[in-house]
Amino acid sequence: MTRNFKVLAVSAIAALMASSAFAADIFVIGGKPDDPFWSRVKKGAEDAGLVAQAQGGSVTWLGPQNYDNLGPDAAELIRQAIDQGADAIVGPDWVPEAMDPEFEAVVAAGIPLVIYNAGGIEAADRLGAMNYVGAVDYKSGYAGGEYLGKAGHLNGACVNTLPGAANIEAFCNGFNDGLAAAGGTGSVLQLPATAFGDSTAVAQAVRAHLIQNPDIDALFAIGDQDTNASISGIQQAGKTGSVHVCGMNFNDSILANIQQGTQACAIDQQGYQQGFFAVSILNNNVMYGTTIPTREILTGPGVIDSNNVDLVIEGVKAGAR
Amino acid sequence: MSTQSSSGPAGFSLGALARRPETGTVIGLLVVYTFFAVLGGPVFMGAPGWSSWLNIAAEVGIIALPVGLLMISGEFDMSVGAVVPASSMMTAMLAGHYGLPAMIAICGGLGVGLLVGFVNGLIITRTTIPSLIATIGMMFAVMGLTLGFAVLIKGSTSVSYVPDPLTKSLLGQFINGMFSVSILWWAGFVAAYFWFLHISPIGNWVFALGGEKESARNAGVPTNKLTIGLFMMSGFSAAFVGVAQVMTYQQAQVAGGQSFIFNSIMCVVIGGVLLTGGAGSVVGIVLGTMTFTIVNQGIFFASLDPNIGSIIIGVLLLVAVLSNDTFRALALSYATRKK
Repeated sequence: MTRNFKVLAVSAIAALMASSAFAADIFVIGGKPDDPFWSRVKKGAEDAGLVAQAQGGSVTWLGPQNYDNLGPDAAELIRQAIDQGADAIVGPDWVPEAMDPEFEAVVAAGIPLVIYNAGGIEAADRLGAMNYVGAVDYKSGYAGGEYLGKAGHLNGACVNTLPGAANIEAFCNGFNDGLAAAGGTGSVLQLPATAFGDSTAVAQAVRAHLIQNPDIDALFAIGDQDTNASISGIQQAGKTGSVHVCGMNFNDSILANIQQGTQACAIDQQGYQQGFFAVSILNNNVMYGTTIPTREILTGPGVIDSNNVDLVIEGVKAGAR
Repeated sequence: MSTQSSSGPAGFSLGALARRPETGTVIGLLVVYTFFAVLGGPVFMGAPGWSSWLNIAAEVGIIALPVGLLMISGEFDMSVGAVVPASSMMTAMLAGHYGLPAMIAICGGLGVGLLVGFVNGLIITRTTIPSLIATIGMMFAVMGLTLGFAVLIKGSTSVSYVPDPLTKSLLGQFINGMFSVSILWWAGFVAAYFWFLHISPIGNWVFALGGEKESARNAGVPTNKLTIGLFMMSGFSAAFVGVAQVMTYQQAQVAGGQSFIFNSIMCVVIGGVLLTGGAGSVVGIVLGTMTFTIVNQGIFFASLDPNIGSIIIGVLLLVAVLSNDTFRALALSYATRKK
């Protein structure tokens, strides 16, 4: 009896909430707020959140303190979002093994869910999420491999400073496949997790690897800080001009590198767009019940090289990138 | 000073030298180097190999020295991990964003370190909060302030700065395209700290502080001033590394630097410093730093899975503490027999 009553009460409240004038409290799970890439995603989410705020709703950012224990920490954040009464949740599927059960709990609780940044449409389909917003990591890596391969740099290595994270593995697999498609071969340089965020450690690892493997002429780095460190490693190995780098994401110094020619290309997944569209889709859905029938909203990859770098710099100045 | 500290390497004689705690560290260093020399081959034993681990050793070594001194005096400093990015951000912000001369920016960066160290010292001498907790709290506070101010002022979490040639050559140059100038700075810091701990009279106060704080105070050691001074040293050294990183990588990030916390403690402990204070040496800290970084870099020359490096470092740490205890027991028994 009591159980039936509870179910009745819950559905009655749900019906009440759905029908009454209602604002969306959207919880966004993302990276550390001091991570340069994630600060752009966060800005996109918050800009889209201005609409939600005007309607009386809110956007709350939940990020881990560090990446040492990424899967379980992020799973815990999803749980927190549910417990805090989220009306909609946005999250990246970084470590499916640890995070999928929590995402399933979101869907089971009837909370609209959008997967973004990592996991792809496969994760969204598997979990019953509304949509996937983001670059496909594999395609981003592939674009880098293809770019360097077509330029004639056929022996590559992917610098993995975060082994075990699904999206980083996909970058590296994509890079190696893109290189293979252009007739080259790729490998992965795995760093211990303690090196993450330490430019000197990454630079010295890259340098040692290049000295030990003199055939390598193409590198792929998984973030802008790692790209700068890799370029320093190449310089210290005395291989400037003979080893070419493509890296994920960009900032002022990356764009300067591309202008100077010390970096071949940057792959942009346009993080601002990821935060912006994921939050917009959910806010409109909660408020008006609208959906985006296009499944898999791609925000990347976009390749930045010496041909379009000046345009991108104009975009940065205008605050659009 | 007439204070006779019973613990610590006070008595010098040939027999005692052979039984010094560093003996274990030297053996560890030789074993580790030989291991990677065999696996890494001539490249690891040549200039590329040496510069590879020396570059890393210089940075972590500059921080490990004062962290070791603090440990000898019975304190921990976890805030170094936050001072590195805070000082590099301050330097890049002053020089890159506001366009001030490099000298002022560098002083600003180093000032951040001194200030954090001073506050650390105040908290620890004025309250009963253990230094481990106080400096963890400080670490989070400084991390938050760095992030907050960076986003507030620059609207971004990274600031780039291209240093002028003179500053670059002093702090961010690679000699021969390989050896970081930080190695020379590290050598300078080693000399300064060696003089401070083992030659100047204040050195004995540091040991006394770690051995028995109350007795040290009663014997006339200005314990509060000394503690605050030691924390300011570690803040300064961490800030120095942060400033050097800006000049090297031409960019400051609000994240990063946390690896220095555990890495510096590991170097110090492998180097034979007693975790509870009262014993240790600058030579030991330097040897520990070298051992630690040889493992870290040797891994890449030996083409082993990097995770194996972490395992080796973990085992090394345990063996170091065990063997240090053994050597210390030996040294103490020898000393008592002499009497």
